[in-house]
Amino acid sequence: MAHVTRAQYREELAGLEARTLEGLDLVVTQIDRVVEAAEQQDIELAQWVIGDDDRIDGRYLEVHQHILSMLALQSPVAGDLRVIAALLHTIKHIERMGDQCVNVAKLLPLAGHEPPRHPELLAKLIQMGRLARAEVIQSKQAFVMRDATLAEDLVLQDREINRLNREIFRDAVDIGDDPDVREWAMTVTMMARAFERIGDNAVDIGEQVAFVVSGLFREFSDSSTPPPAAG
Amino acid sequence: MTTATANGAKTLQVTDLDIYYGSFHAVKGVTMTMRPNKVTALIGSSGCGKSSFLRSLNRMHELIEGARVEGRVILDDQDIYAADVDAVMVRRQIGMVFQNPNPFPTMSIYDNVAAGLRLNSRKVKKNDLDDLVERSLRGANLWDEVKDRLDRPGSGLSGGQQQRLCIARAIAVEPEVLLMDEPCSALDPVATLAIEDLIGELKKNYTIVIVTHNMQQAARASDFTAFFNLENSGDPGQLVELDRTGKIFSNPENKATEDYVSGRFG
Repeated sequence: MAHVTRAQYREELAGLEARTLEGLDLVVTQIDRVVEAAEQQDIELAQWVIGDDDRIDGRYLEVHQHILSMLALQSPVAGDLRVIAALLHTIKHIERMGDQCVNVAKLLPLAGHEPPRHPELLAKLIQMGRLARAEVIQSKQAFVMRDATLAEDLVLQDREINRLNREIFRDAVDIGDDPDVREWAMTVTMMARAFERIGDNAVDIGEQVAFVVSGLFREFSDSSTPPPAAG
Repeated sequence: MTTATANGAKTLQVTDLDIYYGSFHAVKGVTMTMRPNKVTALIGSSGCGKSSFLRSLNRMHELIEGARVEGRVILDDQDIYAADVDAVMVRRQIGMVFQNPNPFPTMSIYDNVAAGLRLNSRKVKKNDLDDLVERSLRGANLWDEVKDRLDRPGSGLSGGQQQRLCIARAIAVEPEVLLMDEPCSALDPVATLAIEDLIGELKKNYTIVIVTHNMQQAARASDFTAFFNLENSGDPGQLVELDRTGKIFSNPENKATEDYVSGRFG
């Protein structure tokens, strides 16, 4: 048959995927801002991040509504159904990543306007932010390309973030007796934790990519096993 | 090997089945098993051979001149194409429900149900016949709607009721397998869902094979789905993929199956 059926439906599904994955671009922008805000102690920029989270939340609602409508009206099955299920998970992860950027932004004023008390600790936090950014970009690329190998590689990338997270925790424990410095270091561990979660969300999106490609869902790594004790 | 379940449903095993109408090769090399107490749906576009295949399962295709079958169809351990097997006997064991409800128009509801038995010339006492008609109508979820008008013509019922009457007629002869050829295509959505519910009930006692063009119906009503296709116009239809229905509609193995269930033709 030369006639191509369901052309409008196919376009709509492709559009839904594009709108969902653009959410990852919004997350990258938020990470860029919050990393810069942390680096420069720019509280104003941090406020901008908090305000701009509405865009990600709005995208979440839009995609969620569109998915419900596709399920109700188009009865997607097989590969299409897997894509739609994966998009529903992905947009939820995007919304969570946006919230983590807000968490970092809210912690920045608590860390004070003064120059960082321990440049090394701050440098590790900034490095975590950049790694998280790279993971988010890689998760999008894996989804667009339907590349399960690239998706699973996220686990390797995530190890470095996890390692830095544990290091920051140890450094904070050992940072000394000055109560102000200790409070600042605690705040940094909480920001580190937020970046670490963004990395986890990127790995989760990678798992969705593998599901779309193979039809089988499996966790890349067993997150129920506790990581090596910090400190 | 006997695989009949306690309630009499049997396994239909098809091996290397080819169907021809004269020189036209309609279906090629189908091997598949239809399990007892399961609903197997046959899907595929028009002309892919699924209805021919269904009809070959109880030798109904023999009513078409020039039609012939190669290969084997085994009902448990009985070869339904063996030389000593009577086609009428096969059709008693393997009943068929058609696309358009076809009750005998001048017969009463009661006689429509009893007709199968009478045509199979089984001698039954009046009381036993009453019981059997009631049991069959109950089995087809029709009893409550018609019990007060059993002597009225079957043609006076609604389309959905007529189709359930035909199902009652089919199960009155206590078959082991029920074949259904697009049983809902002439019915409205409510009657369709009633038949689908009935199919779910009937599989407790029968092996069911259903041809449907409605993919949502295959998804809702069947346990296994077989996708038939032909590579090019004029080629014989072939079985492309048979699997659990959940698998066919979520993660089929074959690209052609994926395209068909997703509505991607062309």
